Amino acid sequence: MTAIYTAFGMVFDPTVLAVIMGSALFGMFVGAMPGLTATMATALLVPVTFFMAPVPALGAIVTATAMAIFAGDIPAAMLRMPGTPASAAYADESYEMTKKGQLDLAMGVNLVFSVLGGIFGVAILILLAPVLAEVAINFSSFEYFWLACLGLTCAVFIGTGDPLKGLLSLFIGLAFACVGIDPAAGQPRFTFGNIDLLSGINFIPTLIGMFAVSELLRGAVTMEKGGRSVPQAIGSLMTGVGAVFKKYWFNFLRGSMIGTVIGALPGAGADIASWVSYAVSKKTSKEPEKFGTGHIEGIVDATSANNSALGAAWIPALVFGIPGDSITAIVIGVLYMKGMNPGPTVFLQTPELIYAVFIIFIIANLLMFPLGWAAIKSAKQILRVPRNILLPVILIFCIVGSFAMTNSLYGVILMVAMGVFGWFLEEHGVPVAPLILGLVLGEMLEQNFMSSMIKADGSLFGFLSRPIAGTLGVATMGLWAFMAWRGVTSRPAPAMDQPSGA
Amino acid sequence: MLVFLSTKVRVMRFNDAVLGTAFLLLAGVMIAITFSFPDFPGQNYGPNLFPRIIGGGIVGCSLLLMLREWRSGGRPILILADWARRPARLASFALMLASMVFYLVASEPLGFIPTAFLIQLGLFLWFGVCPLTALIVAVVMTAAVQYFFGSVMRVPLPRGILDSVL
Repeated sequence: MTAIYTAFGMVFDPTVLAVIMGSALFGMFVGAMPGLTATMATALLVPVTFFMAPVPALGAIVTATAMAIFAGDIPAAMLRMPGTPASAAYADESYEMTKKGQLDLAMGVNLVFSVLGGIFGVAILILLAPVLAEVAINFSSFEYFWLACLGLTCAVFIGTGDPLKGLLSLFIGLAFACVGIDPAAGQPRFTFGNIDLLSGINFIPTLIGMFAVSELLRGAVTMEKGGRSVPQAIGSLMTGVGAVFKKYWFNFLRGSMIGTVIGALPGAGADIASWVSYAVSKKTSKEPEKFGTGHIEGIVDATSANNSALGAAWIPALVFGIPGDSITAIVIGVLYMKGMNPGPTVFLQTPELIYAVFIIFIIANLLMFPLGWAAIKSAKQILRVPRNILLPVILIFCIVGSFAMTNSLYGVILMVAMGVFGWFLEEHGVPVAPLILGLVLGEMLEQNFMSSMIKADGSLFGFLSRPIAGTLGVATMGLWAFMAWRGVTSRPAPAMDQPSGA
Repeated sequence: MLVFLSTKVRVMRFNDAVLGTAFLLLAGVMIAITFSFPDFPGQNYGPNLFPRIIGGGIVGCSLLLMLREWRSGGRPILILADWARRPARLASFALMLASMVFYLVASEPLGFIPTAFLIQLGLFLWFGVCPLTALIVAVVMTAAVQYFFGSVMRVPLPRGILDSVL
């Protein structure tokens, strides 16, 4: 119990609360701007959190992402432009509601069910994570090896329309992770005599390059100068929301459940959760013909799902150190930087930190209500910030953020190189999220692989001899076999792929 | 058909066979380098094992990409977005990239403040922000970033020509 009191003390500190408030506003803004994603918000935030203590650092990331995922709904309804990819599934539906004059109801439902879905995901996180941690405490390098393999495989499999390209991206990320001192023998690899490369490919400039700079390069060629007219929500946002809840409470529960499960699966995040739950909603609806014409039902499912996925994604991240989506991949990188290697031991050694994360999650979701309301009401002003001013300013933030990670130009060079490389990959339909996961998990995977190899003396049976390791191993290899079969028989995807990323 | 203009791609796209070949070569180089790693004394599995497996994975993916392209009858080697002939957009792209390179070259001698100011002002003006707004935002944002990262976060941003002033 003392750990919980300590956690409350850590969170209810004026500095921490100020950081939470600041990152909430930041997340709201970035999420509401079309073209700036929740992942980008996190990437830009990480250099700042680098200088903070663990609790405010995690608080900033948790709050900013929760706000960004909700705020993405605002331009989706008003401009038919999803603010983040997680709102893309129901952008058309919300916009149709706006055209029918139901903007207030659409926004109210998005807000209320985002908050409820978020709290649902957090509740599952709070209930499930400590239980899983108790199981995970008995894991050896074999279990961790298979868990990492399974997590990375899921990332490839679920995250993209073309698993082969996702797999390629994952291998490239793992190859990047090999640069620097090898974790088993201390041998420098692929450094070409360069001192900066000895410390490896720094994860944050890579992240900023892949998720922000590549976005700026794309944005530069699609810069539009004309203003857009933004419809305003003038009425009460809460009118009719109660009736919607009464009618569609089951959709809310189902959407939140789907979001939680998909969020907790390694590799798939909020954007996939909202697509899947929207599709399920349409399939099982009594009035499927109304979908796409401005019908609230699917929105309830999907907007609950994407927010619940956010909390659930922290379950594998905190318990196993395996990210549930690209945002928690960043979080794991941050935890490693702070010297707190995520995994079941964190629950034993520093439980107050885990409780602090839970408390921040609850605060963030409660804060979403008033701040979201304010953001909806001031959407006209937010959406009027022109992109031709925003993009150059973001570029400066990217540069300074990358510089701050190494205190040298190495960080900036890495950012530019990775930005161009990431842009090139996405132009060719190769998603970058698996690459980031590979870069983050590469060292852990190699370490567990090497020590398992040495323990088992190179025999595959050694990898499968423990019951949990055996189950995980067979499941992973089954997935690999399925992928290999698909890879040989499938046809290339059509020329136009959407870039992925939550 | 070698080059093809289309509205379906954003900027450019080589076909998967070209992509596969490029990564096949890179993976080949990567595996070749692992042969220069020394053995770990007393262990059968050294620092070269993991990179070789990963390299093998990239080789496998590359071959599958090439095979798939070949089976589908081959698309044009390079598809360019149909606006690639419109110089203004190409220039926007190049300018974004050039700003980053400019920072790499100029930040040490000039210092962070002049470099960041020039980059923002240049990009604002190119993207059609009205000059007065451009000037004000560039000054304010440069000062804000210098204050927040330079003073509050204590990031040693290069001082350059303003060394004596700061």
